[in-house]
Amino acid sequence: MNGRLATWAVLGLVLLFLIGPFFIIIAASLSAGNSLAFPPQGLSLKWVIKVFEIESFRASFGMSMFLAIFGTLAALALGVPAAYGLNRYKVPGAEFVRTVVSAPIIVPGIIVGLALLRYLVIPTGVGIGPALFLAHTALILPYAVRVVSASLENLRTDIEEAAVLLGCTRFGAFRRVVLPNIRGGVLAAFILGFVTSFNQVPVSLFLSGPGVRTLPVDMIAYMEINYDPSVAALSALLAFMSVAIVFAAEKFLGFSKYV
Amino acid sequence: MFGNRVEGLALTLPAAVFAAALFLLPVGILLSEAFRTPEGWSLGAYWDFFASPRNRTVFWRSLALAAEVAAASAVIGYAAAYAIVSLPPKSRGRVFGLVILPLMISPVARTYAWLVILGRTGFVNQALVGMGILDTPLRILFSETAVFIGLLQLFLPLMIISLVSAMENMPRDAIPAARVLGANWAQVFLRVILPLTREGLVIGGTLVFTGSLTAYITPAILGGSKVLMLETLLYQRVAVANDFVSASVIAMILIVMSFSANLLLKRMASARRARA
Repeated sequence: MNGRLATWAVLGLVLLFLIGPFFIIIAASLSAGNSLAFPPQGLSLKWVIKVFEIESFRASFGMSMFLAIFGTLAALALGVPAAYGLNRYKVPGAEFVRTVVSAPIIVPGIIVGLALLRYLVIPTGVGIGPALFLAHTALILPYAVRVVSASLENLRTDIEEAAVLLGCTRFGAFRRVVLPNIRGGVLAAFILGFVTSFNQVPVSLFLSGPGVRTLPVDMIAYMEINYDPSVAALSALLAFMSVAIVFAAEKFLGFSKYV
Repeated sequence: MFGNRVEGLALTLPAAVFAAALFLLPVGILLSEAFRTPEGWSLGAYWDFFASPRNRTVFWRSLALAAEVAAASAVIGYAAAYAIVSLPPKSRGRVFGLVILPLMISPVARTYAWLVILGRTGFVNQALVGMGILDTPLRILFSETAVFIGLLQLFLPLMIISLVSAMENMPRDAIPAARVLGANWAQVFLRVILPLTREGLVIGGTLVFTGSLTAYITPAILGGSKVLMLETLLYQRVAVANDFVSASVIAMILIVMSFSANLLLKRMASARRARA
């Protein structure tokens, strides 16, 4: 009995430390006062509404959504064939390919952003937007390859061999046999890539310019100048969004077994 | 299973070329920048970088903070992981889910919460002043303490995950057996739990250490220019002074650190596979 009490006391404290701050953000964002404070000064939804009225947040939210969706799709377009090739073929230099493809996970994002700004954007005149898109794609690529590889490893190879023996082309076998079977893994990779890209800050720090800014970078810039609860409201909304995505993913596909 | 090399290459090459062109090449050029001088190749930039007292302070502070966060998360992580493992399976899954959940939430939102809690008009100060313990609010923000708290909250889940999975693989009766044989709790921890979960501790510790060392958001928001860490220093050098040579040196430090951490993890993973 005593042991159980201690167990829950430890867990209570740890969860309070990890999750408690979110309740404080929610409370602070419902404040009626004009500066950030807890406990809030009166209750109102004015800061939640204000978030949607701030022009730059709307623009940067769109930018982040675009990057998260299309950057992840591009990473999957590169990563799914690569994972399939690495798992099913004898590729010369496979170990090297694996290292190169997973390199973006090892290199801190801020360095990638800076390197792309200095050696891609400035000399070639490529816009910051396209560079940001390429950077996010590269960043998600390792996750795409890893998660899809894991589900390919769990898929028996004899069913696709059977399909090929029965006259299917290699591509046909991939499309009609393999792809339906790794659908869950691909979807899990998409969700992981989406969340990673959407929350990513360092890569986008240097890759920002007039009108091109991701939402988290915009939030940091805004809070350097303003001390009002609108960032609290936005943070609360983003937290709800992430929680909703994770719950839906867990419910419909058992997300946690892929990650 | 398929022997066709051309097909295999055709599948993997686009991803590899993409990563090489957009990643290895620009990052490689950036790293080389510190070695290039008008008079040829030299290590002078590294000498200059470490000759500056401010840079040395930032370097040691980053290492020390990362080590402190890793140590604190190990202590809390062991208590939390032990508590989680001793729960009945159903509530274990739920609690574990709650521990992981923050990882999916924007780090900016997570760090911002501490601004609300630790700020001048924040929760802690209002409580302390309200209860009459303090006359004027404490200055907690923009201190190493604030950065430490923020980093700990950000990375603690990684340590708990690693330790929980290590403890789940521990023989279930090891602890009761040691207790029956007369070991006290300190001995149980040092001679049974620690050796059996060493791998999880190293994995968790490496993740937390490199994560803290290469953090940008937390020191930027909670430390400001008073508590610079390596990445915020890098940003400042470039944004304020266009100093790409210092940026290149810092980049090299960060990459070497996270690359060696990764190597360590890989070796542990392959050692485990060899034993299995």
